[in-house]
Amino acid sequence: MGAIIELNNVTYSYPLANECAIKNVSLKLEEGRFYGVIGQNGSGKTTLCSLIRGFAPSFFRGSLTGEVLVCGKPTLDYKPGELSLKIGYVFQNPFSQISGVKDTVFEEVAFGLENFGVPVDEIEERVIRAVELTGISALAEKNPYELSGGQQQRMALASIIVLEPDIMVIDEPTSQLDPEGTESVFEIIKGMKDRKKTIILVEHKVDLIAEHADEVIVLDKGEVIRFGSKDAILSDETLLECGVQLPNIALLGNKLTRSGVPLERIPITEQQGVEIIGKALRTRSWCK
Amino acid sequence: MWREKLRIRKSNQIQALHPSTKFLIVCLFSACSLILGSIKMNGYALLIIPWFLIVPLLCAASGIFMKFCKAFAKVLLVATMIFLTQSFLVRSDVVAWSGGVLKIYEKGLQTGIFISFTILNIAGIFTWMFQTTRNKEISRALEDSGMHHKAAYVFMSTLQMIQVMGQNSKTIMNAQRARGVETEGGIFVRAKAFFPSLVPLILGSIIGAEERALTLESKGFDVNGKKTHMFELEPSGYEKLAASIAVAATAAVLIGRILVWVL
Repeated sequence: MGAIIELNNVTYSYPLANECAIKNVSLKLEEGRFYGVIGQNGSGKTTLCSLIRGFAPSFFRGSLTGEVLVCGKPTLDYKPGELSLKIGYVFQNPFSQISGVKDTVFEEVAFGLENFGVPVDEIEERVIRAVELTGISALAEKNPYELSGGQQQRMALASIIVLEPDIMVIDEPTSQLDPEGTESVFEIIKGMKDRKKTIILVEHKVDLIAEHADEVIVLDKGEVIRFGSKDAILSDETLLECGVQLPNIALLGNKLTRSGVPLERIPITEQQGVEIIGKALRTRSWCK
Repeated sequence: MWREKLRIRKSNQIQALHPSTKFLIVCLFSACSLILGSIKMNGYALLIIPWFLIVPLLCAASGIFMKFCKAFAKVLLVATMIFLTQSFLVRSDVVAWSGGVLKIYEKGLQTGIFISFTILNIAGIFTWMFQTTRNKEISRALEDSGMHHKAAYVFMSTLQMIQVMGQNSKTIMNAQRARGVETEGGIFVRAKAFFPSLVPLILGSIIGAEERALTLESKGFDVNGKKTHMFELEPSGYEKLAASIAVAATAAVLIGRILVWVL
């Protein structure tokens, strides 16, 4: 598949900032793939997302060198709102994603389609589909401000899904949610992956990235230090030095290997852990 | 199906008037209040006192009398404070009333009546409009009248934000209480707790505003072109009649004012 998003030698700094938030980044992201973006706080994850979505420099200003292409066209060449139909963006804070002018969840989800002048009958159909997909049908008549954080985040996802973008940029959607809310949000993201959407997800919960992503991008001080297969990256203990968390099962796998337990490879998901560590335990060839 | 659910049905025909008609009534009523306030009888603007009776009568006819009383209580308190302050503090040569050390001068009483009843009249008619009209009806009417959708959004979100900021303020105060800060008690204790809460409240709103702006952009708010609306305003059918009555009443007040002036 071809690259749907391309960054060529991109360097970006915010206005009045002394340092560049993103330095010399070149990436090619393919259509239909799920990319997990990890890195410690301040490493440039959100800035990378803002560049892809075109918020930087259009909204934040600042200076940009290099080019960011979405579907082969520089983000700077898109008309206002045009990118909204190509890239959906979900933010960290569910509360601030409420438009503040709608009385019900249904109207809130429909807001984007109203802005694009979609006929009312079609809006109804698409909103019903989106609220069903995100599991908030029962909340459709509620006031958006009366929802819990998890419900508000699902509504935010529904508000973007309803626009049917090909690319979804999701910036730490679960940082303010409880485990139940996190699980429900990831169920929705998994659903989008199954529908072959290109997903770029910033997330500190690396176990979830290991579970769902196809590839991983690791950022450190504005630079991409690793990009590629999640199995190779999320099992690499050297990333701990850059403040990047690894999945708990990968840490266990590394410790077992150091203790002399020969593992086929370092597991990064629970499922892999059960299989790989289980196999090593069954053979016991290492046990004296 | 959803379009039906979003419709606002009002059984009371005055309540159901189109927001633009209500706004016309509000403007004309306010203008009449000012005109009547300019007619002085022995220096007193007495006509604006019975004129105020129209507001509760209109509210009763609209079926929102109790709601109006609840919403209007604070305005009444402010108007009373202004009346008392003006009456007792503005001095002149003629004493209108005296009781012990307290004296009300004629000039003070005249100013007190004029200012307090002008406030009651104008605030009262606005209260009627806001109590009989949902925010989204006003916003929709503004857009229909040709206002840019961004301006209508600012208007609407400001109205909603008052409520949201009130809730946020309560959350911050509860958090402060949980940390042992005294928030209950006399006016000074409350003020001491309230003012520091303004910083996180305002800063939080500013930070939230940036993300909200980006959210709006993500939802195509900046797209120029025709927008659709799930919610449609429906006129009650009595708009022309209501507007005619309001215009006729204003004309009568205006003619009366000219006659008083000429004669």
